[in-house]
Amino acid sequence: MALLQNMIGIVEDNWLLLLVGQYPNGPLGGIAATMILSVLGIGLAFPLSVLMALARISPWAALRWPVTAIVYLVRGVPLLLIILWVYFLLPLLIGTNVPGFVTMVVTLVIYEGAFLSEVVRAGIKALPKGQMDAARALGHSHLGAMRYVILPQALFNMIPSIISQFVSTIKETTLGYIINVPELTFAAGQVNNRLLTKPFEVYFILAIAYFVVCWTLTSLANLLERRITARRARIADSGAEAGGVAAASAGVSRA
Amino acid sequence: MTMLQQTSSRDDVSMIQFVGVNKSYGSFQALVDINAEVRKGEVVVVCGPSGSGKSTLIRTVNRLEEIQSGSLLFEGQDVHAKMGGSALNHLRSRIGFVFQSFNLFPHLSVLDNVILSPVKVNGVKRGEARDMALRLLDRVGLSNKAQDYPAQLSGGQQQRVAIARALAMKPPAMLFDEPTSALDPEMVGEVLSVMRSLASDGMTMMCVTHEMNFARDVADRVWFMDAGRVLETAAPDEFFRSPKHPRAQRFLSDLRAR
Repeated sequence: MALLQNMIGIVEDNWLLLLVGQYPNGPLGGIAATMILSVLGIGLAFPLSVLMALARISPWAALRWPVTAIVYLVRGVPLLLIILWVYFLLPLLIGTNVPGFVTMVVTLVIYEGAFLSEVVRAGIKALPKGQMDAARALGHSHLGAMRYVILPQALFNMIPSIISQFVSTIKETTLGYIINVPELTFAAGQVNNRLLTKPFEVYFILAIAYFVVCWTLTSLANLLERRITARRARIADSGAEAGGVAAASAGVSRA
Repeated sequence: MTMLQQTSSRDDVSMIQFVGVNKSYGSFQALVDINAEVRKGEVVVVCGPSGSGKSTLIRTVNRLEEIQSGSLLFEGQDVHAKMGGSALNHLRSRIGFVFQSFNLFPHLSVLDNVILSPVKVNGVKRGEARDMALRLLDRVGLSNKAQDYPAQLSGGQQQRVAIARALAMKPPAMLFDEPTSALDPEMVGEVLSVMRSLASDGMTMMCVTHEMNFARDVADRVWFMDAGRVLETAAPDEFFRSPKHPRAQRFLSDLRAR
């Protein structure tokens, strides 16, 4: 009970810091920064991931191999390492200081781009081969078929996976803490440093804040997933109702 | 020149010509030295036991399948010659293809299924394409389904939309790869009747089908295939009355026995 009262007290005293950081007197932080980082990260990673997925399944080896190598590299390295690389290497490469916030966005775009591209690729591969055949038979180019026939279906089916990836991204923004990006975890750290005696309460509040955001989004993803699965089953049904009797009717002869 | 083309417009102009076509998957030879011809305005039915290479054969015509040797001419143009992507796309857009599994685009309405390719591939204006699509849907008896989605249609209706979609590209020839094999028996007739009406309008057609009544009534020629070879090409009455090749005789007697 005392714990709960302590936590309510901490939230009452620090809600603005947890919500927006030191803004408007300092940089934007807290949940607001976490959400902006996540939205920017996934929002910029998404178009990149579609391009990477297209490259990975493209008929041209010169596109396929380098992108495949990048995806394997990024997937095989901890996110923290990529943050450090970008943090130390990016300023050297472009010759100016890069704010932590930008470092974090760049890192998330690289990391999430690689992961999402696998999701996009799986979504494309999951469509029946006949869709591509039909589009090509009608005279569409490979990219035209992708644009008008394959991607609209694949991306729609992938909406739940994209939301799940967004949830992962929100949790990954916590790593911005180590390069002093003032997001939610950083704000909680500030509160904890000020209070000194109540780490359990502070980090419990932090956990609840992440949980509420992520659980809400996960529920949304699950809801959409059920709807989309039902819809796909309906589509498959109408195709398979046809396919199922193929064996039976193929032999029906009137000779 | 125009006069000449008109007088020779039927029966003696080659539309699709196979010249020594071979295709293999690894060590399995799917097509063996195919030499055959579909003339303009002709309806050819390709039949034979399953696994005989019928679908592979028809899919080589618009290069959905590659071949290893020989050549395949569509209106005199070598389909399997080295060519740029856009030349191949253009060629394909002129060859109507109807699949066993319909392959309608499920995310588009019936109308948009028909309109998509004329607009995006041929650059037809949307309004114009829409008028044409509605006429074609009317022709296959589905003008009242224009706003529906494929999932809302029966198999027979979906296949008729697929035919309208192929016709929207104004192809000089139509290929049908077992168009009724995936249908409930009671829906076969509606698809065949659309195909009959196409044939009677003079459309050049190549159909892989098990519908022997259709072959008998509509086809000008029947090709019989087995083990990757075209063993016999004959007029249908001749083929059904007195097939020459022993394998064809067995095939037909098996069909009758069923």
